[in-house]
Amino acid sequence: MEITFEHVTHSYDANSPMANLGLDDVSLKINDKKFTAIVGQTGSGKSTLVRHINALLKPTAGKIIVGDRVITSETNNKNLKPLRKKVGMVFQFPESQLFEETVEKDIMFGPMNFGFSESEAKDAAHKMIELVGLNQDYLQKSPFDLSGGQMRRVAIAGVLASNPETIILDEPTAGLDPVGRHEIMDLFKSLQTKGKTIILITHNMDDVANYADEMAVMSQGKLVASGLPSDVFNSQKLLEDDLLTLPQSAQFAQSLAKKYFQFDKLPITIDELSAEIKQQVNGD
Amino acid sequence: MEKIISIKNLNYTYPDSKKPAINNLTVDIYKNEWLSIVGKNGSGKSTLTKLIDGLIDADSGTIEIDGQEINEKNIWEVRTKIGIVFQNPDHQFVGATVEDDVAFGLENQGMPREQMVKEVDHALELVGMHKFKKRDPQTLSGGQKQRVAIAGVLATRPQIIIMDESTSMLDPEGRRTVLNLIQELRQQQDLTIISITHDISETELSQRIVVLNDGQIVRDDIPRNIYDMGTDLSKYGLEEPFSDELMSTLRNSVELPESYLNEEELMKRLWKLRSNM
Ligand SMILES: Nc1ncnc2c1ncn2[C@@H]1O[C@H](COP(=O)(O)OP(=O)(O)OP(=O)(O)O)[C@@H](O)[C@H]1O
Ligand SMILES: Nc1ncnc2c1ncn2[C@@H]1O[C@H](COP(=O)(O)OP(=O)(O)OP(=O)(O)O)[C@@H](O)[C@H]1O
Ligand SMILES: [Mg+2]
Ligand SMILES: [Mg+2]
Repeated sequence: MEITFEHVTHSYDANSPMANLGLDDVSLKINDKKFTAIVGQTGSGKSTLVRHINALLKPTAGKIIVGDRVITSETNNKNLKPLRKKVGMVFQFPESQLFEETVEKDIMFGPMNFGFSESEAKDAAHKMIELVGLNQDYLQKSPFDLSGGQMRRVAIAGVLASNPETIILDEPTAGLDPVGRHEIMDLFKSLQTKGKTIILITHNMDDVANYADEMAVMSQGKLVASGLPSDVFNSQKLLEDDLLTLPQSAQFAQSLAKKYFQFDKLPITIDELSAEIKQQVNGD
Repeated sequence: MEKIISIKNLNYTYPDSKKPAINNLTVDIYKNEWLSIVGKNGSGKSTLTKLIDGLIDADSGTIEIDGQEINEKNIWEVRTKIGIVFQNPDHQFVGATVEDDVAFGLENQGMPREQMVKEVDHALELVGMHKFKKRDPQTLSGGQKQRVAIAGVLATRPQIIIMDESTSMLDPEGRRTVLNLIQELRQQQDLTIISITHDISETELSQRIVVLNDGQIVRDDIPRNIYDMGTDLSKYGLEEPFSDELMSTLRNSVELPESYLNEEELMKRLWKLRSNM
């Protein structure tokens, strides 16, 4: 589904003296079936932005168009189920998403809520738990008797189980061990190649460079850049204004360029970097 | 070196669980060191933290803190020496506002109000959250919550700080700033830092890395030797530092040494190769 933000502003506590702008006039198009990364400093509005896509938050002004749905400040809370069936969201803190007695029931909740039969939901739970790197033994445990990273995996399984068209991931790999992080990122990428739209909030710029087709940069509630990662990470302006951190490969290339080396465009992945170095060292 | 924590033959199995979460673990932690604890999800890192703070009681084994073996009677006193930033900051918040929340630990210490206000302001300034002091902590963004949780611990000025993945939701710049701050405090105030992390670049700040697996310590060494474990790293859920990964991809066509080089060393090596061309 294509998702379009048109001049979206969100004011928290709009009527109180503590009012603050979570989003400030954001216009952005998120393309269908693409892997889009959203980055930006702490408090820049990333979580606020994505919560508008399934109408967990309503805009104070402007509108969001999600497929054939339009969300405005007037949108009421009735009849949001079809939207939420299409747009699944893994929250920033996985515990906020877990509530059933067992992991199995927890993963089954979404699918059953969206019309799967009990046996279909059970099958989905058994399949998903393995996909997120846990074995079947975990299904009968309480989701609260798990380690942080295990909870995260269960929360991801729960969202994937209902097979949503668009998957929003709010820092889904925070708390995962590095091996798990790569596995889960590969899983998201494979879902995208099978036709899903992936929206990923992350602070890991290497993951952006390695997995995302497109990226958006937020700062103080505003969208400050969007485009291809290779272009955005090469934007002098963003770097000078400290709105963006480079992937490790680009940082390394930048330092390397202090002597003898020269890069027309900063490499953003380790493969690009190593190809450049080989060429410049060996002259081939 | 003076021991600040000494753990001997520690065992713990959660009720209803078959497998021990901590399995005959022995380790000494020294005053003023920065120790990283790493390992797979579920390897026992957070459980160890809870045992050190007496939030759960070991099935067997002993924990000595600053020369005192912890037991039911002295746990409250011992706990004032330790500040823990828990993995999920939501579990830590008790106050209705950010400033109340940070003040909570100080109130418990019986600090006079005037001094308390000063300490709270100071701690919030250190982590860059001063502007948010009137806010309900529940309404903060993920990274803002983590900063406030860190302030809450800094305010009580403990001798030992345990950070359980407490910078996992900070942006790269913010993470660097907070870790540098902790490093400075460690040097100035003789603090001991135990940092649980999945971020391999963060471990470069530490003097020693302990690798946990299935509740046991499988490696205990200086960072450089840990990074040199090569493919064994992934067995324990870890990844190579960036410079190592880059070296592996370069090795087939660029001449490089076998052992670990940090980024600076690698860069110098590449400059040399390039200048010889
Ligand atoms: N319920 C709320 N009430 C008032 N302000 C809020 C609320 N939720 C968020 N904010 C504020 O809005 C701003 C944007 O928050 P948001 O959670 O979208 O940030 P973020 O980019 O996701 O940050 P992080 O990377 O730290 O998670 C922050 O300054 C935050 O404090
Ligand atoms: N409250 C609990 N009840 C029962 N088992 C638990 C509980 N908390 C954790 N466990 C189990 O104990 C083991 C160790 O968990 P712990 O939380 O210490 O892991 P961790 O190393 O901190 O992992 P992570 O990196 O995911 O945070 C795991 O297998 C976990 O499932
Ligand atoms: Mg957020
Ligand atoms: Mg943990």
